[in-house]
Amino acid sequence: MPAAKTTPIESTHKLVGKNYQTPDLVAKVTGKAKYAEDYRVDGMLFARLLLSPMPHARVVSIDASEALAMPGVKAILTADDLPAPADGMTDLGQVIPANKLADRSLTMEPMYQGEPILAVCAVDELTCAEAIEKIHITYERLPHVVDPFVSLRPGGPNARVQGNVWIRPETPKAVPGQPPPLPPAAQVQELKWTEEDFAAAKDGQMPMGKPAEEWSFGDWEAGLKKADLVLDETFVSPNTSHQPLETRTTMAYWQNGKVYVHTGTQSTAQTVPAIARWLGPNIKSPDDVVVISEYTGGGFGSKITSSISAIIPCILSKKVGAPVMMRISREEEHFIGRARPSVHGRMKVGFTKDGRITAIDMYTVCDNGSYDAQGDGMTSGRIVSLMYQPPAMRMRGVSVITNTSPRVSQSQPGGFQGIVMMEPILSKAARKLNIDAVEIHKINSPTGKAEVGPPVRGKRPYITSSFIREALDRGRELFSWDERKKQVKRSGTKVRGIGVATSAFVGGSIGFDGLFVIKPDGRMYVQSGIGNLGTESVHDCNRVAAEMLGVPWDKVEIAWGHTGRNLPWACPSGGSQTTHAMTRAAYITATDAIQKLQQIAAKDLGGKPDDYVVANERVFRKGGGAGMSLAQAAKRAIELGGIYDGHELPKGINKMTAASATALAGQGLLAVARDTMPRDGLTHSFVAGFAEVEVDLETGKYAVTDYMAVADVGTVLHPHALGGQVLGRSVLGMGHALGQKWVYDQHYGVPLAKRFHHNRPPTILDVPVDMKWDAVNIPDPETPIGARGIGEPPVGAGCMAILNALSDALGDDVFRRAPVMADTILASLEAGHPMEEGLTAHI
Amino acid sequence: MAIIRDIMPAFELFQPATVGDALGLLDQHRSDAWVLAGGLDSFDWLKDRIKRPKVVIDLSQVSELRGIKEVAGGLEIGAMTTLTEVVRNPIVKEKFSILSQGAELAASPQIRNQGTIGGNVSQDARCWYYRGGWKCYRAGGNICFADTPTAVNREHAILHADRCVAVNPSDSAPALIALEAQMVIRSVKGERVVNAEDYFVGPAIDITHMTVLKPGELLTAIRIPATWAGAQFYFEKVRDRQVWDFPLMNVASAMVVNGGNIEKIRIVVNAAAATPLRLTAVEDAVRGKPRSVATGEMAGKLAIVGAEPLRYNGYKVPLMRNLVKRAISGVEEPKWA
Amino acid sequence: MGLIETAVNPWGQTVPIHIEFYLMWVAAIGGLAFLMVHAIYVQFVAAKASHAARISPALEAQYPPKIKRHSLVARLFHWVMSVAMFALLITAFLPRMGYPFAWVEYHWIAGLVLTASIIFHIFHATFWMDFWSIWPDKEDIQEAKWRFLRATGKDAPEPRKFGKYPFENKMYHLVIVLSGLAVTLTGVFMMKRVRTPFFTRNPYLFGDMTWGMMYILHGLAGVGLIGLVMVHVYFALRPEKFVITKSMIGGDLDRDFYLEHYDQERWKVPAAK
Repeated sequence: MPAAKTTPIESTHKLVGKNYQTPDLVAKVTGKAKYAEDYRVDGMLFARLLLSPMPHARVVSIDASEALAMPGVKAILTADDLPAPADGMTDLGQVIPANKLADRSLTMEPMYQGEPILAVCAVDELTCAEAIEKIHITYERLPHVVDPFVSLRPGGPNARVQGNVWIRPETPKAVPGQPPPLPPAAQVQELKWTEEDFAAAKDGQMPMGKPAEEWSFGDWEAGLKKADLVLDETFVSPNTSHQPLETRTTMAYWQNGKVYVHTGTQSTAQTVPAIARWLGPNIKSPDDVVVISEYTGGGFGSKITSSISAIIPCILSKKVGAPVMMRISREEEHFIGRARPSVHGRMKVGFTKDGRITAIDMYTVCDNGSYDAQGDGMTSGRIVSLMYQPPAMRMRGVSVITNTSPRVSQSQPGGFQGIVMMEPILSKAARKLNIDAVEIHKINSPTGKAEVGPPVRGKRPYITSSFIREALDRGRELFSWDERKKQVKRSGTKVRGIGVATSAFVGGSIGFDGLFVIKPDGRMYVQSGIGNLGTESVHDCNRVAAEMLGVPWDKVEIAWGHTGRNLPWACPSGGSQTTHAMTRAAYITATDAIQKLQQIAAKDLGGKPDDYVVANERVFRKGGGAGMSLAQAAKRAIELGGIYDGHELPKGINKMTAASATALAGQGLLAVARDTMPRDGLTHSFVAGFAEVEVDLETGKYAVTDYMAVADVGTVLHPHALGGQVLGRSVLGMGHALGQKWVYDQHYGVPLAKRFHHNRPPTILDVPVDMKWDAVNIPDPETPIGARGIGEPPVGAGCMAILNALSDALGDDVFRRAPVMADTILASLEAGHPMEEGLTAHI
Repeated sequence: MAIIRDIMPAFELFQPATVGDALGLLDQHRSDAWVLAGGLDSFDWLKDRIKRPKVVIDLSQVSELRGIKEVAGGLEIGAMTTLTEVVRNPIVKEKFSILSQGAELAASPQIRNQGTIGGNVSQDARCWYYRGGWKCYRAGGNICFADTPTAVNREHAILHADRCVAVNPSDSAPALIALEAQMVIRSVKGERVVNAEDYFVGPAIDITHMTVLKPGELLTAIRIPATWAGAQFYFEKVRDRQVWDFPLMNVASAMVVNGGNIEKIRIVVNAAAATPLRLTAVEDAVRGKPRSVATGEMAGKLAIVGAEPLRYNGYKVPLMRNLVKRAISGVEEPKWA
Repeated sequence: MGLIETAVNPWGQTVPIHIEFYLMWVAAIGGLAFLMVHAIYVQFVAAKASHAARISPALEAQYPPKIKRHSLVARLFHWVMSVAMFALLITAFLPRMGYPFAWVEYHWIAGLVLTASIIFHIFHATFWMDFWSIWPDKEDIQEAKWRFLRATGKDAPEPRKFGKYPFENKMYHLVIVLSGLAVTLTGVFMMKRVRTPFFTRNPYLFGDMTWGMMYILHGLAGVGLIGLVMVHVYFALRPEKFVITKSMIGGDLDRDFYLEHYDQERWKVPAAK
């Protein structure tokens, strides 16, 4: 077996593109890092949750008298104690009306088994538990459904009293001169398909009744008609819990009207307004919320702005007048910790005999879970339209509410499911048309400013750049693809196969702030509002500013993870936005510092600001001559005051940034700015994954024997961190191929697989020993540093490179849903046709 | 009463230092007592507040229950010997390698460091309905939730189900049965020794227990006779993950082959039924036959006679057939291996 | 200690699952107590049956020496049923008494035999037997009252002799009918919960509460049958009833016994040829 190779990441920069040791590393590997659960405060009380035993019910009465009479029990908190859901507001001041059907952390109408009904606060957790066992709740059981297709059947049960499907009304037309109207809030309605809809689907095919949402571009019908090969395939992707190692434990206490919230969140700055919104009238303004989250043990989209359950200890703490810690157990994490929604998808794809896609007709049914409308089903079409560049496409979908735990975005939300639906078809077409699998991916891959999604106001949007074809070429070479193709495939009871998959997702946003101070000690004090969720972007992005100012990394201090430390507004650390958004913010802020340094130098040393350059911790005249150190300039900035030391702030920066800058004013040269730089296109990142698998035909077991991923993420910012992301997220995707899923008992509507060993996230022994990664390292033309985000696209590549390798080994008709486990393979090989149930959810 | 999980209820904890004290406590508390060995099985039950013993007798301080002794060419393994110690023991490796293989494939390194051989063979079923606290037959109720038209039962039994369809998940048990091991059971009344294959009990006889242990009794040691030392062994476990997973099925065989013919054989499959299954019909059928693929295939077909799959565990039938075949004729490794 | 055992179902609801199994001991002890009290009563307290005057030869001549009491079919039914009943009781309760064995299959097979025999009996009794002869009527109740009054030393008219089935026999049959129907009807549904060759197992045929009530009924009828069977066997073995027991084997009674113990008006027997 030829080994995969890598090439070293080249960089002409001093800091950007270079490896270094992040400031949080030692604490993490020595166990000194403090996570929310590690904090202890004098007089701290504990809280535990009482969860609904029923998948759908109404709480008729709660009798907690016996519990409250127990010594050590301090209070109970029910949904009645929570503030009503508050409206939100956009940056333009438009009101986002509160979703009255949203998850509120406690409820009187539980929508899934495991939904919290109330919390008990007591001196310790054992007392909480004993008190909970003394609480008597009378429920009125309501109809339940855990399978979207059961709910869509004529006369099928609805998961909510209001209906079973989220329907989003049309967005009103824009009025000239007014900001574009917000899309109206989705509503819950009833949608049933007909018996004919169900009867029309052959065995293993997904029925397709009336959709809730639909878009299209081009003449897809003509595209399918003129195709040389049309494939009509159904595939099912699994529900997968996010399963961060750190459960969503939170400890909160109040001091002088402020609430201090120790929690694990993906985003530090953005968590403040999120918690403020849930607290409602309990606080005067978001300034009263202090979020402490120096370390977060994973989120993967489930803790973008902390979690909704964090509100419980906050309000309990206010009620009892003492700090309250609410630890979340692994099983509770399964219930309230969110998950990626399963998507059932059916696609008709036309190909020319050269392998080029002529048109796609795609339909997805998303298992929405119990609460907010999930966009995964429709997003999957958007990413398919980008990744495989069909000239024409129709996308339809419906997101069916079920009485299962709530869903939320998980790494590559929707994009993942799109890749999962499409990749088996592309591989099958390659086999049928006798085209190399890498080649067919290349033929259909985007390049340059490729179009994405449906038309917006008559025109299809496009992306900033794509170099996925280069990534495919690089991977083909490094993985020795052509050599492996010639390998012996079958020997003994083993058969092996190779697979390639491409994957894409949003890779960055714009418009956020940066803030740092150069103090008279010559050091650079960077304030970072980014969350420390394990990706290292909280540190990495700041390397851009240090590099631009010529400050060596050991002279950079970073404040992070505590909004009491005067942090600026930052992007949410989710959706792979951060590297792109926050290197831009760092760039614009460093530019602000350079301009201020040039002005100070010109004031003191004569000439125009433009005559000066900043490098090697100095500002000096171009071509040498007069100059001053950054330390001297910092001192001068304090003397000059005004814009130089932060006493005067630019307009347009976020309120939180302004407050932090004001607090830091007068300490040195203060640089603060908002990213208002233009960007032509929507930023997306890409990954090509290559895998080899070996299947034992007698047991159905298979092993991933090799894996390699090549990323197209623009300029590489920090190779080690990037490698960790590319392979780490590939493994997240591999979990979806190898065994991760939910299991429910349909009769009672309750989950069976609730613990790690039931849900089977992959372990280090389930993935190849020596996985390799590489990056094409070509800068994105629409952002000054050229770096895009990486978190999302490896997931789909990791999953589907494996499943494509599996069909290369076993042929086309062995599996039709992910994950693919030994039982599926063995049963299908034995029977000679797919043995899986095509539609049943949660098996 | 509302249900809450993941917090251990209070109980009286005893940590006896000798077997005698442990037996005395067991006799005193009878069915109120819970025996704690490595805790890997127990803590799930206790933390979930499903099993609520009044008294827990922790054996971790009983040093006489630990360790591996050589006895008359065979071994006596203390019930509290950790799986890691069993795996690493040089004599086990040399003479009874099937046991070190089986023990090494159990769970994960961390669990094997803590889990004991006695606990591994005495562990409770892992049916997720039962472990979820559902009041099924095995929990003293009157229903099997895993054998209903809608149940998800890919990990359940294909053989000898009687109302309950749970399986025995032990990885060391089939190896011990293949090695003709004996279980030493003590109580205040004295000692009794049962053959490893008779240590396990199916739902037809006792639907709420996995073993023949009665209240007041303690498994103190496992004796492995010299009989099969150095025989030809085969052990294979098929699981979903490469670590930290229970078997979908496992197989253990010990064979003495003379002139290419199978002279003596014991073959055991686990996770196919509620007890490890010693396949005596297969043993009888292959004895005297050449150790060949044809014999293996014949044995595999014979092994699955009477199998009754459920909705989602049909794959276990070919899996058992193929594993039995491999346990007899070996597995053909690919050229590239 | 209650009468029924409950369980918490997967929705957290408390539902009955079966009777407390100590009730089987209650039934057994109850049955034993009854027959001991009865035996003592008959032995020491009850007035000895006064023998009526010698039966006239004229009357005797009207009847054959052997009086047909149970047809072959009826006897076969009785013994099939009794074997099934014993099998059911043994398979149900022996494992609970500490003698474990694989009982389920034997239990439902015996249950099916019992059910089939009962169905047969219903048809047979309805169309080929004197259907009403076994059911207590007004007269029976009136005479039972008189008998009770007389036994307790009160004044009451003298009751007539019995028809084919004495009142106690009829009452026993009634109770057996009720418990037998309860146990078989619930038992047939319960077969949906175990593996049989007849249909797919489906414990969700009814809701948890309905099933619970069914199990309770099955259990109550089951333990009730322990007592009933004990009493039945006891009477069958009592010396003064043994003639009747023998008739369940051979089918016939002696003419003398018939004439002595039965009212010829109430149990009409075809005259001798």
